[in-house]
Amino acid sequence: MPTLIEDTIAAISTPLGKSGLGVIRLSGKDSRRIALSLFSSPRKDLQDRVPVLGNLFEPSTGDVIDQAVVTYFQAPRSFTREDLVEISCHGSPVILKGVLGLALEAGARLASPGEFTLRAFLRGRIDLVQAEAIRDLIEAQTLFQVKVAQEQATGSISRRVRPVKEQLVQLIALLEAGIDFAEDDVSVLAEGEIGRRLSDIEAGLVPLRASFALGRIVNSGLSIALAGRPNVGKSSVFNALLQEERAIVTEIPGTTRDVVSETTQIQGIPVRLMDTAGIREANDRVEQLGIDRSMEALADADRVLFIVDGSEPWTALDAEILDRLEGRSYLLVVNKLDLEQQIDEGSLRIGAKTVCRVSAKTGQGIDDLRRALFKEYGLLEGHAGLVTNVRHEQLIYGALLALSKSQNSLINGMPHEVILLDLYAALKALNALTGETTVEDILGNIFSTFCIGK
Amino acid sequence: MAADFNEVYDVVVIGAGHAGCEAALAAARMGMSTALYTMNADLIAQMSCNPAIGGIAKGHIVREIDGLGGVMGQVIDRVGIQFRLLNSSRGPAVWSPRAQADKQGYRVEMRRVLERQSGLRIKQAEVVAILREAGRVTGLELRDGRRVRAHAVILTTGTFLNGLIHIGENRYSAGRSGETPSIPLAESVKSTGFEWGRMKTGTPPRLDGRTIDFGSLEEQKGDARPTPFSFETVAITQPQVSCFITYTNETAHQIIRDNMNRSPLYSGQIQGIGPRYCPSFEDKVVKFPDKVRHQLFLEPEGLTTNEIYVNGLSTSMPADVQMRLVHAIPGLENAEVIRPGYAIEYDFVQPTELHPTLETKRVEGLYHAGQINGTTGYEEAACQGLIAGINAALKAQGKPAFVLERDQAYIGILIDDLVTKGTNEPYRMFTSRAEFRLHLRIDNADQRLTPLGRQIGLVSETAFNRYRAKQERLERLMSHLNQVRVQVEAGKISAAQALKRPEIKIEAFLESAPDELREQLSWEESKAVETSIK
Repeated sequence: MPTLIEDTIAAISTPLGKSGLGVIRLSGKDSRRIALSLFSSPRKDLQDRVPVLGNLFEPSTGDVIDQAVVTYFQAPRSFTREDLVEISCHGSPVILKGVLGLALEAGARLASPGEFTLRAFLRGRIDLVQAEAIRDLIEAQTLFQVKVAQEQATGSISRRVRPVKEQLVQLIALLEAGIDFAEDDVSVLAEGEIGRRLSDIEAGLVPLRASFALGRIVNSGLSIALAGRPNVGKSSVFNALLQEERAIVTEIPGTTRDVVSETTQIQGIPVRLMDTAGIREANDRVEQLGIDRSMEALADADRVLFIVDGSEPWTALDAEILDRLEGRSYLLVVNKLDLEQQIDEGSLRIGAKTVCRVSAKTGQGIDDLRRALFKEYGLLEGHAGLVTNVRHEQLIYGALLALSKSQNSLINGMPHEVILLDLYAALKALNALTGETTVEDILGNIFSTFCIGK
Repeated sequence: MAADFNEVYDVVVIGAGHAGCEAALAAARMGMSTALYTMNADLIAQMSCNPAIGGIAKGHIVREIDGLGGVMGQVIDRVGIQFRLLNSSRGPAVWSPRAQADKQGYRVEMRRVLERQSGLRIKQAEVVAILREAGRVTGLELRDGRRVRAHAVILTTGTFLNGLIHIGENRYSAGRSGETPSIPLAESVKSTGFEWGRMKTGTPPRLDGRTIDFGSLEEQKGDARPTPFSFETVAITQPQVSCFITYTNETAHQIIRDNMNRSPLYSGQIQGIGPRYCPSFEDKVVKFPDKVRHQLFLEPEGLTTNEIYVNGLSTSMPADVQMRLVHAIPGLENAEVIRPGYAIEYDFVQPTELHPTLETKRVEGLYHAGQINGTTGYEEAACQGLIAGINAALKAQGKPAFVLERDQAYIGILIDDLVTKGTNEPYRMFTSRAEFRLHLRIDNADQRLTPLGRQIGLVSETAFNRYRAKQERLERLMSHLNQVRVQVEAGKISAAQALKRPEIKIEAFLESAPDELREQLSWEESKAVETSIK
């Protein structure tokens, strides 16, 4: 395949700060030559995948700059499928910048952000989904995000999509064979069989799309608002949920309303907890205002924890909050389990809802509450090939829409070349996830399935 | 400088096969002084393989050639001896005409068309070199040393460039069976620096029809109402004949397996790449071991010969194995083989060396068309010849290039695929290659292309007037259908609206059309209106 990427790129691959080690990376056909122009070792040469200890020096003066370990990865067995060199030296910004400068003088070009991954993509080493996963991996803030991104980087989505796509390609090939090789001894699929195969393909994609419910929150996080009248222990539950969880740096985008909020991770999912604590004046009018403002905050939350005090009877204020939560997704939390329970269960309108009975004071039931937070997203059912990216979700949705249109065409007795239009639309969407299946591949499928050739 | 040359033309075409004939005619009709060079003037437009034109996607191409002002459609309509509209049970987008040809009749008729064309000369000679100067073509050199000057040269070498025939262990240089290859010309082409490769194709044995037991075989008749290729054709008048179908069997397959060591395909003797969709019978047996029988079509080669083409039995096995193979097949037990099948390897130039006008990037004024570009098929070759001829003429006239897009014609798809992707196996057209398949139909090929053909000066005024008259008929029928009201469950709607329903056909409303319109409209024209409504 002809390619436009002919030059050699270089960049510092570790953050520019003082650290024990820093890495400079080169990729392209001149990487080895450039590395050897500023690195000397007793071995004198660089062999594929053999780390070599030696000195980095300034070619014009011969002055040694640093000691380094240099590893050469010969094409195509490298991340970019090009000749690639990693120079591992001391992590001083001065050294790193100096060595990079020498590499540029020797003929390398400064890499643009993400260009190593771009090359890996252009050379077919990784598909687009994997490239996106590498970005997610680098930007991950929780170990769970790392796990999911790591799976995607090694092709977990492709692995799930590919078998479904193969079914689709096989169906396209059979329908095409019926059209293009009508003169040959080609068996044509019965309409019922086509419909059954279409349903199988749809069934393969539906769970993948459904996994986005969880996948979305893996990267984007979840905002949870705590609702409840004063003194039910909202702040205690808030603090109990925060306990032992390492706070993370980046804020999840959210409101700047008059609520106390804290960002944390629960079960590896970034979570923004919003507490309406502080709005608790005894004055009736202000109380009302507090509830209104709390409700506004709640409107922005993905989930609501409705907290009641189990040690006290049900109040009118509880009922009013509950009324306002009608139609929202909320989790009922009965707090103060450590005290004698006085609440009237009948007034809670539990129905099919999950109820978490906790004691924020003793910590009893808090772990169950953490798990219950994500239960409806299916977090506990594993995460292999989870769809976390909205682009991927839209592609799968697009494929499903096209498949459903083709089912309609089939039912309406449209000719196969019309049904195929939608099948190609579905294929195009899946191509964007797994790399392209071309007309040549479809023809190849036909010729290996049927003995064509009048 | 002109003194160095014996003759001078605007356009010279090398090779008088299906690409060469269209190229030469197009250039001459566009006013170029044109010469068509062939090694044997008796074999112009020879159908070297199967005696048929058209088929799915290929029939579309012939319609497009016709719409643009090419001749293949008219010629086959005059000499076709069995017409069938393929895929007629499917939607109109994939209907495609196919016809068995009287092979000799096709040659004779094409030569007649060429000879009647003013400004076109037919020349028998072997071209040994393409002359060029500073990256531009200047002419060509003939075997006897004469030099011909040309503004443009169109190279259509078919299987002749370094052609090498294989039959069993035997191999010999040839352009086709019994014809000399082009060896010096191949050297001349390579010296240009083109990226080139080898391809392979094959043909089946031909039998004496008097020795075939047709009575025991399944007959395949042509359509009762033949669908012509050309928009100009009024009626198919020549006699029509049948083909016959038989099947191979285990005995035949075992003969192949037992003699595999003598197959040049499997011994490594053949290096070129053959087409996957037209495999040799050896390949069929090896690659589909579970298939207990393979279908064969027995196709007559003409009205004045008994020769029968065994479609589906392409082979390069030794002649003695071919005889045993043929005799193992039902109906062919006593068949005489007139000519054994053979495989042929030949040079092609990667079509990525070409502009979309089919002019080479390395040599200005040099065009390649047909099998030299890695394609297979008469129709694929013819349409490339047409485009090369048109562009050679346009360039000489200083006019803009003529390039068809993928949504305009199969021809556009074919050339775009070739020049952008190149090919490693003989390229054939399939409807599945068309992204806009529902639009690229046989019924609208003239609407898509005839105005363009007129614009570039290839379609004559007379032909264009006929096209316009037809369009008027279609419009009149359309407005008639819009006016006529019909009763349906929901009330009265127009006939045109009613026709949108799949179960309603145009025939239901033709009765009500004015008599003179109904008499002028052909069946296909009224069907075209139905299709455009649906």
